[in-house]
Amino acid sequence: MNRTWSKQRERGSPFAIRLIRWIALHCGRGVARCALYPITAYFLLLAGPQRRASGDYLRRVLGRKPALWQTAKHIHTFAATILDRIYWLTDQHERFDIRIHRSDVIFDQLKKGQGCILLGSHLGSFEALRALALSQAHFTLKVLMYRDHNQTLTRMLEALNPDLAATVIDLGGPNALLRVHESLARGDWIGMLGDRLGASDKVCHCRFLGEDTAFPAGPVLLAASLQVPVILFFGLYRGGNRYDLYFERLADRITVDRRQRQAAVQQWTQRYADRLEHYLRRAPYNWFNFYDYWEDRAPHRNIALGNVADRPE
Amino acid sequence: MTHLTDQELEVARLIIDAVYLEDLKVEEIDPEAPLFGTGWGLDSIDALEIALAISRKYGFQLRSDDVEIVHIFASLRALTEHIQKNRTD
Repeated sequence: MNRTWSKQRERGSPFAIRLIRWIALHCGRGVARCALYPITAYFLLLAGPQRRASGDYLRRVLGRKPALWQTAKHIHTFAATILDRIYWLTDQHERFDIRIHRSDVIFDQLKKGQGCILLGSHLGSFEALRALALSQAHFTLKVLMYRDHNQTLTRMLEALNPDLAATVIDLGGPNALLRVHESLARGDWIGMLGDRLGASDKVCHCRFLGEDTAFPAGPVLLAASLQVPVILFFGLYRGGNRYDLYFERLADRITVDRRQRQAAVQQWTQRYADRLEHYLRRAPYNWFNFYDYWEDRAPHRNIALGNVADRPE
Repeated sequence: MTHLTDQELEVARLIIDAVYLEDLKVEEIDPEAPLFGTGWGLDSIDALEIALAISRKYGFQLRSDDVEIVHIFASLRALTEHIQKNRTD
């Protein structure tokens, strides 16, 4: 298995997802959280590729082979944040103990009245940010993502909060980033996750947990093209009902010189990878990329060449 | 292979410059090849770079809500036609 998260079968049947939603909404979070134990056990036993990917990741971050309970804790943390998405999206924020760190970064940007890129990751919960943006409406958040992946879950979440679909810019078509451009010109904030590769993404190899792996170059290229600030965002789940939201300013403006394009994109993407690693070490079980993150050696399209011939099928 | 018109040649050079395809030779370009996916193999970042370059050079914006947007980006020929119709420079 290489970096084929998009080809991975979505685990969890529509029935199971509906069942969890029903329990979550009718029986409360406490009861629903009890259901996380059998769910964790199910994935621990039956989701082989995901379990192996978790094991590989935990070995890197913990520096030793993980014990079974550590793999279980990893899966359980993931399941818990998926469950909480239901509460985030139905505006039940009072359930959570939310601590926002460096909110000044957000307020400074709001004062400028200008759009920006909020660059997150699959570390922890992006939903926390999305839900807060939707309900508090200090700024309009649009989320750039591949809408086709995880269809069952996406539909279920959109059914819970009909406003959600309108906030998504689907990365599927060639005009996706024209929409982003227009949206930023209106002063919207654009959320995106910078740690997963799409099949045809331009890539940038970065040092991450001690080994090189490919990151998408898109977020940095986009910020450079449109000359907008980039704010990093990490929403870490701390257990119980606690979430810590961290904001950091990555760049006010990314300038990429034509002749040193690759070096500049590399430098900024590496900075993102470094901050991701920093937070990941503080909350290792929040890493929700359950596929072989380091295995990719495929010749993805190199940003400097931009040549079709380098492109994998 | 169909020959490029002067206008297509100009737009091809703009694309090559905008998306760093310097090693592509203009004489090898098929004006009807798709720009995205197979063919030129461009992606949405490239589409944005091309749109920005078009607005600088020809003085009009490509709009994402244009119902024709997929057709406009279908090939060099289609894009060139769209530019000729809309340019304000």
